[in-house]
Amino acid sequence: MKQLTSLALHTFQEAVRDRILYSILVFALVLVVGSLAAEQITIGDQAKVVRSFAQSSIDIFASLIAMFLGVSLVYKELDSRTAYTILSRPLPRSRFVLGKYLGLVLTLGVQVAIMVVVYTVVMTLSQGLPPGVVYLSFGLLMLELMLLTAWATLFSCYSGPTTASFFTLAIFTIGHLADDIWTFGSAAESEVVQQTARALYWCLPNFEFFSIRTQAVHGVPVGLDRVIEVMAYGAGYTTVVLAAAVLVFQRRDLK
Amino acid sequence: MIPAVEFVGTGKVYRTGFFMRRIEALRDLTLRVEPGEIFGFIGPNGAGKTTTIKILAGLHESTSGEARIFGVDHRDPKARSRMGFLPERPYFYLHLTAREVLRFYGQLSLVPDDVIARRTGELLERVELSRFADVPLRKYSKGMLQRVGLCQALLHDPDLVVLDEPMSGLDPMGRALVSSLIREEQEAGRTVFFSSHILHDVETLCDRVAIIIGGQLRALGAVEALVAEHGNLEEAFLSEVDRSTPVDPKTLGVMA
Ligand SMILES: Nc1ncnc2c1ncn2[C@@H]1O[C@H](COP(=O)(O)OP(=O)(O)OP(=O)(O)O)[C@@H](O)[C@H]1O
Ligand SMILES: [Mg+2]
Repeated sequence: MKQLTSLALHTFQEAVRDRILYSILVFALVLVVGSLAAEQITIGDQAKVVRSFAQSSIDIFASLIAMFLGVSLVYKELDSRTAYTILSRPLPRSRFVLGKYLGLVLTLGVQVAIMVVVYTVVMTLSQGLPPGVVYLSFGLLMLELMLLTAWATLFSCYSGPTTASFFTLAIFTIGHLADDIWTFGSAAESEVVQQTARALYWCLPNFEFFSIRTQAVHGVPVGLDRVIEVMAYGAGYTTVVLAAAVLVFQRRDLK
Repeated sequence: MIPAVEFVGTGKVYRTGFFMRRIEALRDLTLRVEPGEIFGFIGPNGAGKTTTIKILAGLHESTSGEARIFGVDHRDPKARSRMGFLPERPYFYLHLTAREVLRFYGQLSLVPDDVIARRTGELLERVELSRFADVPLRKYSKGMLQRVGLCQALLHDPDLVVLDEPMSGLDPMGRALVSSLIREEQEAGRTVFFSSHILHDVETLCDRVAIIIGGQLRALGAVEALVAEHGNLEEAFLSEVDRSTPVDPKTLGVMA
């Protein structure tokens, strides 16, 4: 436990030191400018357009940062050889991977929390306090980020940042199109194509499943059963991907 | 008595490149280091010293045979709870200060916080870095980093200290410091296993030495015996190198 927190806190500290949190300033700027622009040009329900825009900005910013940090998470320690003195301690490699991962999740949590505060301030000033379901959607976004980060960690356990970025981006993109794969499969004539599409759908992540963007924008409450479903999916899938990351890293010689 | 370090028929084959070319870095190493010994590990560049040490440190897995630390298999992380390790060239989180980095390693070795604080003070004093304790490592010279490396290896009072070329990068005072640290460890009843190219230091410090060439153990014995036979350790070393079969440049292992 002490080993885990120590690793996680140092990972967090390093991200903060690398001025990752500064990216929030860019986010705040985009948010403010974007909402002002939306107020100028939209006819109809302005408040919803602005909320939708803000929501997407947070999703995209957080996902980009998750991928950016995730792909070099483990590789960096190997490349700078700081892993030598760390892994020669009585520290199972699984704990090392988990500690680094939790540090990254902590970083993302803080990042998202600050963005949500900025969001709340901007929204309250322009249209009043956002509906509660919006905050639930940010909670689910955190779960989505945990899964995305787990994938990035898996890739960073066996390849350099370039390859890992490529694979992570691929997973990110496919994961957002998962529903289309299903639709495509169901529409196909051939039995083989249908089965393959189904199999792919079940193996690949479905990031859209975490999204309750529509409800959040329209202020429609979400049922508890949906939330529980998403939590179970996120936790289960993340655990499997992290286990794979540990398995990959376990047997690896450190150069 | 359980040996501090025990290799039984240990081998290591690296696979490199797209075609997974074999490089046999270590072949059939059988060796015991007894508790309380200072044991020297010498050999030419590329002989397999670092490979052997990395197996102990849990950084590489052996591909054949066994390796144990105080009787515990080297693959088990617990084997390293009684071991301290200094890599060939130590790398740290450079944004941390010496005090912070030692605290980090202490936590990873599950040392209580008050003990970490006390040991950090003692060790930094011992390696003459007290004045720089709160300076980020980014500003340290190579020799200063080597000294921090020694501190992290000794921080948790390990019963076995494994050092890969501990004298490299140090000035004459630094080398003398390492020598006396190694002696102090032995006086405290601990075991020291180290590799070095500085044969004079090995001769004066070690109880026993192993000479490894091309991944194979060529000589093993008390320093006194080797010196008695050859005059000094350097002569013993050179005559072993002369007698050894040439190294195959393709596999970097010994030619069959
Ligand atoms: N990660 C690796 N992949 C492939 N080959 C390696 C790897 N590490 C070491 N080798 C090879 O194994 C052999 C032994 O290397 P090792 O680093 O153990 O030598 P050494 O005795 O420590 O040498 P030096 O005195 O130069 O430090 C060398 O031929 C080296 O090229
Ligand atoms: Mg070496």
